[in-house]
Amino acid sequence: MSGMRDDDLFGEEDFDDREFDDELLEEELRQAAAVLDPVPSELQQTALDAYALHDPGARMAELTFDSLVDALPVRGVTDAPRMLTFQAGEVTVDVEVGAHGLMGQVLPPQPARVEVLGGPRPGTPLTADDLGRFSGDLPPSGPFALRLRTGGDVVVTEWLRA
Amino acid sequence: MDRTDAGALVQAAADGDAAAWKALVEGLGPLVWSVVRAHRLSDADAHEVYQTTWFRFAQHLGRIREPGKAGAWLASTARHECLKVIRSAQRITLTDDPGLLDRPSEDGTPEQSLLDSEEAAAQSERVRSLWQEFEQLGERCRQLLRVLMATPPPSYQDVSAALGIAVGSIGPLRQRCLRRLRARLEARGTV
Repeated sequence: MSGMRDDDLFGEEDFDDREFDDELLEEELRQAAAVLDPVPSELQQTALDAYALHDPGARMAELTFDSLVDALPVRGVTDAPRMLTFQAGEVTVDVEVGAHGLMGQVLPPQPARVEVLGGPRPGTPLTADDLGRFSGDLPPSGPFALRLRTGGDVVVTEWLRA
Repeated sequence: MDRTDAGALVQAAADGDAAAWKALVEGLGPLVWSVVRAHRLSDADAHEVYQTTWFRFAQHLGRIREPGKAGAWLASTARHECLKVIRSAQRITLTDDPGLLDRPSEDGTPEQSLLDSEEAAAQSERVRSLWQEFEQLGERCRQLLRVLMATPPPSYQDVSAALGIAVGSIGPLRQRCLRRLRARLEARGTV
């Protein structure tokens, strides 16, 4: 490759060669990654199935507070529950996730059917009482979201990792 | 995946086209996986971050402001989830383990099937050396190269979103890292 061009006065051909070598090495890494560290097939499938979570009719409740991110750790407290707040318009959902389960409240207080989702499939059903309070014995693990049905409204919280 | 394609696919998927969603998963899944791998999470955390990223993407489909930047959106979401994992320090398990290379991977070990084939042995040796030297690069280089080696090659915008580094610094850094890797391979006698 080098030495083929005699009109090169500025070392450009060396530059081109090196860039060419870089491209080759990067491509070789790309092939190595495809063999040694590809997207695991079950994850690929989960991502395909995730299309079921696209629900244009649902309102999304955005995460507005996450104690994991927004709160200073309390000294000496290692297993404090994680506090989360989600908001969709006038509806607020407060959730506390601890080692022994999940508790929450819908505000303003109202009865609701709550579903704890762990993926694209139907989740565990819970019921919020007249004060909007709900609880479940199983702490979510991995990705989770809550789907709330109040009146004719469907609200889904932003997906998070427990 | 270029912007026009990504934009059109996001639009179509938001309108109910499942084939468009599949194309997004196939075209951008390796990028998301690269971002997760670049952050050296445990396998369990890596899987959860990957899933969470796609669940969020599905949920946000119709609300993404710049559909053409879906790659950057996914990369940046994956990065933030990775950083959250790292922040909740008790969960972190570094895969800094040299034994990782010898451990069978979860997917019916493509590595093994490659090794099984005799004529592929020499090439597989080369691939293993390359991977080992790559794994031993400094953290910055390892991260950058892990993201750059996604298939199809990510744009610098996507890489910037994946690692939180300026677009302008990616080219020079890439060059330096690739040359560092080449020097390691040469020192090892694998060129």
